[in-house]
Amino acid sequence: MDRPGLELRYSGVSIGYQGRPVLTGVDLELRAGQRLALVGPNGAGKSTLIKSMLGLAEVLGGTARVPARTDTGYVPQSGALDADFPVSVRQVVMMGRYRRLGWWRPVRSADRAAVAEALDRVGLADRARHRFGLLSGGQRQRVLLARAIVAQPALLLLDEPFNGVDAVSQEAIVTVLRELSAAGAALVLSTHDLGVARDLADLVCLVNGRQQAVGTPGETLTAESLRRTYGSGAIDLADGRMVLVEP
Amino acid sequence: MIDPFTVPFMGRALAEIALLALICGPISVFVFVRRLSFVSDALTHTVFPGVVIGFAAAGIEGIFVGALVAGVITALVLTVLTNRARLSDDAATAVLLTAMFSAGVVLVSRRSSYTSDLTSFLFGRLLTVTTRQLAETAVLAVVILAGLLVVARALVFRSFDPEGAAAAGFRVGWLDLWLNVLLALVVVAAVRAVGTILVVALLIVPAAAARMVSDRLAVMAGAGAVLVLAAGYAGLLLSWTASLRYGVSLTSASAVVLLLVLFYLLLIPVRWLRSGRSRRELVG
Amino acid sequence: MNWWDDVLHRAVAEVILIGALAGMIGVHVVMRRLSFFTMALTHATFPGVVAASIIGVNLLVGGVATGAVIAIGVAVLARRRGQDAAAATGVLLSGGFALGAALVATQSGFSRDLSSFLVGSILTVSAADLVVTAVVLAVVAVVLLAGARPLLFVGFDPHGARAAGLSTTGWDLLLLLTIQLVVVAVVPAVGTILALSLIVAPAAAARLWSDRLPVITGLAVVFAILSGLAGLYASARWNVAAGASISLTATAVLAVSWPARWLVRWSSARWTPVPST
Repeated sequence: MDRPGLELRYSGVSIGYQGRPVLTGVDLELRAGQRLALVGPNGAGKSTLIKSMLGLAEVLGGTARVPARTDTGYVPQSGALDADFPVSVRQVVMMGRYRRLGWWRPVRSADRAAVAEALDRVGLADRARHRFGLLSGGQRQRVLLARAIVAQPALLLLDEPFNGVDAVSQEAIVTVLRELSAAGAALVLSTHDLGVARDLADLVCLVNGRQQAVGTPGETLTAESLRRTYGSGAIDLADGRMVLVEP
Repeated sequence: MIDPFTVPFMGRALAEIALLALICGPISVFVFVRRLSFVSDALTHTVFPGVVIGFAAAGIEGIFVGALVAGVITALVLTVLTNRARLSDDAATAVLLTAMFSAGVVLVSRRSSYTSDLTSFLFGRLLTVTTRQLAETAVLAVVILAGLLVVARALVFRSFDPEGAAAAGFRVGWLDLWLNVLLALVVVAAVRAVGTILVVALLIVPAAAARMVSDRLAVMAGAGAVLVLAAGYAGLLLSWTASLRYGVSLTSASAVVLLLVLFYLLLIPVRWLRSGRSRRELVG
Repeated sequence: MNWWDDVLHRAVAEVILIGALAGMIGVHVVMRRLSFFTMALTHATFPGVVAASIIGVNLLVGGVATGAVIAIGVAVLARRRGQDAAAATGVLLSGGFALGAALVATQSGFSRDLSSFLVGSILTVSAADLVVTAVVLAVVAVVLLAGARPLLFVGFDPHGARAAGLSTTGWDLLLLLTIQLVVVAVVPAVGTILALSLIVAPAAAARLWSDRLPVITGLAVVFAILSGLAGLYASARWNVAAGASISLTATAVLAVSWPARWLVRWSSARWTPVPST
């Protein structure tokens, strides 16, 4: 699946809410099939950057080009959702089709098939009829991923998808993400996990109130850039390794 | 068991409850998942000044319009206040409720006696429902259900995951306003017939009770409607019997509410049994 | 004492005592988002009060008894957060009020009792009522003062508090019961709906002016007492319902604090934090 029209380009952009900037100096460009990792401490502006790609945060300066909203899929953190909500896994994934269906079109077999296929890809086909809240954190995250991919987006945005996720679910998510980018989708994900950034991403963007660096993992995940990004939260170990802690 | 309802006014009272059951079954589900219990309660109090002003301006006919204006204003103000989240929505609702109700009391207290107005405002006149009011409620039912149908999917998505819904392009603020206005409409139209106490109960209890027996939104709506009908039937029967046989005047509105709450309490053990029986709950 | 014989003097004393009570507990109600719960409590004490008057027991006892049942019920249900807790509070509110109304209907004088319950009757406060209110004020003040730190910890971070060895259920229950005590004391004077106003509005206004608990509490008490006095004055001057005037004044204080605070901030050009990412 080739997406020649994909355009995600930010030049000298600053983003914020109600006129107040949260993240400045953003310069990045993403092409179809590429995977971008946003790395930085809490409060650095990672979520805000992702929200700006959805039109949910204001672009206060510079030029930002993003794909159409209907071509963008979003995977929020599952922790924010109410576990008691009376809705099944299948219904959650079907929500990903609602935009296309509008309010009047009934759910058809094509929709049901798409939902089943998405659930299958994340390995949760056997849990389709279970209540969403009964799943583990990692499984819920996979369901939210299925919801995002059921609409076959050109750009997929994931907000800290591996937070509090078990190893099995993380494995499943990473596999799906690789498949998606191989098929031509572009991915942006924010993470604390440098290992994930190094292994999964083609591009890494370090942020902390301002963009600190952007480039390949090798170029950006250097001791110097990390120290600049994490400040006192970056500790050098004697053997040349680095530990990141929340300051 | 049927005899009392062959009397015309009892039959009309039951019909009114049946129509309200149709409306409140579905809408109470949204009140439940969006946690609008307090807002529903607030609406029944904030229409009070509208009722007073409307009556003062245009007599009986003015009540509906006055209440409607007050209700829509409340819906608007609450939507704005809670979306901006400057004040917690809990405190904002409380303050708006008490301010408007106090305004109503102040307006009313300038007259000499207002206790009978208050009673009918609280309890309605279920037993004096006219055929015309029935027709009006039927029209309301169509309007409300249509209004809900149009936003049902979007509202479920928004209620479950507001961030995801906003990301998908749904306008969360407008959806909230739409629902709040629908609620105001239900309150305004039902208050005259059944009073504020019953309206609040009809908006809150059906879905809460139905949740005890089901995890599926559609089933909750249906079960809620059935519970309202059952409570209506039994409540009317109860107040009829109490009044005729034992000379105790029990307003039908109170009786219906008490029965609804009883159903809720009786169903609590069912929920415990269901969650204890197995960890997995197949929903569909 | 001659001074206490005057109706208006007693009303003034009652208003001051109630203002202090409402302000103190209001801070916790606003902080812990218990406004709806407090509203439900005001409606739920109704059947207890009516039952007590039918049986012939002291009204306060009846109110406290049913209120305690509700408070315990909610404390139990509040362990499951979310939709169920909010719905349960609503159910209790409806049921409580309907029960009270049903009980009242078995007596005569239906409408009058109902009115005074909803709207209050501060001008019929007796010397005995004053003493009761003063005692409640003393008790509540001691509880809130002594328990200030644990209540703050439990309210802000229940998991951390539990980890530190505090009993969250115990402290939550204590708070709910204290709110319940205040409600039972305040409702006879200003009515149910308006009691809520006096509890929530001054505390919400105080919150706008400070971030420190002692300051917020002090301000809330001052605002509440001032609203009470101003409302009483307005009621005597323009012949309008006392409880409602008090409630409107309290709301006015909040309504004025909002833009006033914004003005103060804007003119001192202080940087305000932005929503976190």
